Amino acid sequence: MSPESLSMVDWLKGPAFAAIATSAFSLLFGLHSLDILLASGGAAVGWAIFLVVPHAGSPAFAVFLAALAAGLYSEIIGWLRFRPATVYAIAAILPLVPGGGMYYTMLSTLEGNSAKTVELVMTTLMTAFAIAAGLAIANAVGRMNYLAYSHWLMKGNRKP
Amino acid sequence: MQPEDLLLFAADAARLMLESGGETYRAEETAMNIITSQGGVEAECFATSTGLMLSFTGEDGKVHAVVRRVKRREMNLEKASRIHTMVSGLQTDRIDILEATRELDVIERLRERPFALRMGASAVGAAFFTLLFGGKPADAFAAAAIGATLYLLIRGFQRLKLPEFLTSLAGGGYAAIASLGIQALIAPINTDMTIIGVIMLLVPGVAITNAIRDIIAGDLVAGIARGVDAFITAAAISAGAGGAFAIWKLLEFGGIR
Repeated sequence: MSPESLSMVDWLKGPAFAAIATSAFSLLFGLHSLDILLASGGAAVGWAIFLVVPHAGSPAFAVFLAALAAGLYSEIIGWLRFRPATVYAIAAILPLVPGGGMYYTMLSTLEGNSAKTVELVMTTLMTAFAIAAGLAIANAVGRMNYLAYSHWLMKGNRKP
Repeated sequence: MQPEDLLLFAADAARLMLESGGETYRAEETAMNIITSQGGVEAECFATSTGLMLSFTGEDGKVHAVVRRVKRREMNLEKASRIHTMVSGLQTDRIDILEATRELDVIERLRERPFALRMGASAVGAAFFTLLFGGKPADAFAAAAIGATLYLLIRGFQRLKLPEFLTSLAGGGYAAIASLGIQALIAPINTDMTIIGVIMLLVPGVAITNAIRDIIAGDLVAGIARGVDAFITAAAISAGAGGAFAIWKLLEFGGIR
């Protein structure tokens, strides 16, 4: 997740790689055929947003918007498939989660560079917090939609 | 259904939800929704990532309670999703409690995918995360080989019932040593890129995110427990990889290589 190493080609390659990597991981997470495809679609959406949003200073805001987009995507898919949105959200945020951040934290600890370590720990936590906040907001939107839908059903409308 | 049976059934459903990687509040809701859908009142459930307590007042006016401990944890979103469907079926009277009991049995015994397929998925996942984080094709090939063998190692450790800490320690060490070995002996790869891709199989990135989600949702105890769990795992991976780097340096300076 180093934004400075991005070239024009990455704009096309990135979401595709994110989708393939996520589909492999969602197979490990026990998902099946169509769900794997849908979950990796969420990862592609999230990564595309992450690339599009400019990274001013720290990537946290881009990660937040990406997680929000992935979360909303998951809410919609979950609603259409009558499944909890988390099933798709957990897979879709995989490319965003701060795995590399933790690795670089370890490396700088070994080098004895404590200033850099503190900075990396902060970035890692910020990233995790940004993802969690994005998903929480998406979840709130999903719940509101669910409540509105239940209300609409209770007013006498039939299920489609 | 007897209140005791209902209690055990609800507790088992919630436990399975926690074991398959469902969120804490979802496990609590699972238990409480099952009980209220069957006429129990004052259903209260308190879950953390390591166990749950459940109590309710039956139609006979007696209070029933049970405690369940959660030890095994592995991500299986299919199970979580099917438990959710089963519970909403109970709530809308699409299925009755006996059908639900049978469905829970089926879910509990759901098989994992074939081992070769999961190994292949680990290879593909590690390779494409390496590419995604900026690695070259050579790095990705190395990550695929290390990812597949790392999965073998993880499963071996789990089969031996070794603690998760040791699995992460050995996994981190193996990822680092294997990358350095490939770089020294086979092809000039960027070990950083390879290692980042491979340790996606180990790192608790999702666990850290879920811990913060729990805390945001108000499940403070569960969130902190999950956060500590993730932190210990991350520390173990780091210690493993760091130890491997240190040993490699020693070998280089010692002129053994």
